[in-house]
Amino acid sequence: MHEWALAEAVVEATASALETRNPACLRSVTVSVGELQAIDHEIFTFALNTLREQRPFRQAVYRLETEPARLRCGACGTEWGLSETAGLDSESREAIHFLPEAAHAFVRCPRCASPDFQVTAGRGVRIISITVDASGSCAEGPASP
Amino acid sequence: MIDPRGSVIQRRLAGVARVVAVCSAKGGVGKTLCTTAAGAALAARGRRVGILDLDLQGSTAHLFLGSAPGLPEEDKGILPAAVGDNLGLVSAAMFAGNRALALRGPEITDAILELMAVTQWGDRDVLLIDMPPGIGEEVLDLARLVPRLEALVVSTPSAASTLVVERLLAFLAEMKVPVRGVIANMVRGDEASVREMARRFGVPLVGVVGWEPELEQALGSLVRLRQSKAAASLVEALEEVGL
Repeated sequence: MHEWALAEAVVEATASALETRNPACLRSVTVSVGELQAIDHEIFTFALNTLREQRPFRQAVYRLETEPARLRCGACGTEWGLSETAGLDSESREAIHFLPEAAHAFVRCPRCASPDFQVTAGRGVRIISITVDASGSCAEGPASP
Repeated sequence: MIDPRGSVIQRRLAGVARVVAVCSAKGGVGKTLCTTAAGAALAARGRRVGILDLDLQGSTAHLFLGSAPGLPEEDKGILPAAVGDNLGLVSAAMFAGNRALALRGPEITDAILELMAVTQWGDRDVLLIDMPPGIGEEVLDLARLVPRLEALVVSTPSAASTLVVERLLAFLAEMKVPVRGVIANMVRGDEASVREMARRFGVPLVGVVGWEPELEQALGSLVRLRQSKAAASLVEALEEVGL
């Protein structure tokens, strides 16, 4: 349930972003979930919806979008994705799940085996967009499914 | 794009009374010894202590404390590894083991944000943060993310140490991070150079830790670390700063 902690962060950040707006006007929040961190979408969604219930934007919908992980080698310039990354056992995947930067301990460039690489996309959790009803006069509605 | 992690850090630290970075811009002066021996001794006195090893690329706090690194347990976040009674540790070694973790600046920031956003420290009297050498991301990020951050600064009496630590003291003053005290470590003669440096920056010298070659044998044993002369000296230092 490490996902719960990240969901709390998303809901808290949502509240901060709505500081000057009527929270009842929040319609949806789109969250990018990086493939590298391998968040369990079901648990994450459950946590978001549960935490949302305690906020004045319980009508809002959280939408998740998976962002594919992309890595780029600093030595040879090769770009690759997670499916082309060899040698990740369940323990190293779990370590990366907790701390995506742990990838630097386990992943190597598939072309030149260099440990010098950057994760250029799909690292972790980010809020991509927040959609509010522009009218600004919204009544708090029932919780969204 | 909004990075949500920063928004939850104050909540994670809500049950932590004091957040103290144990730092020194110079490497090899005994920051980890000071952090772990002080933490172990405080925990033995019933204080609830957290230790966050932020030396991501050179983490050794687990070695000093005799804690085998392994993946953390979870409960709505990650839980610090229990080390004896009243002491919890979080370290990059829990995730990377003893493998090299070669990170660039933004990746260090990401790792710090992640650890601080997902660690459930619970109720603690103090969180001691074992800082890496240098004046980089770790100091900048902590000062930004933890507005109530305090610092304890460690230096040996060597000019090679005080020269660099002076830069840190000036920098922390500029960053408005209150320095509660300076600790003179590995003292074999006298600590006059550290005392003089502290005086010039208006910071009290709160502890003097003597050179203790037997400490190498204490590595890996929480009991021996607690019983070390260093631990006794450091508890006095922490009492000086109200911990």
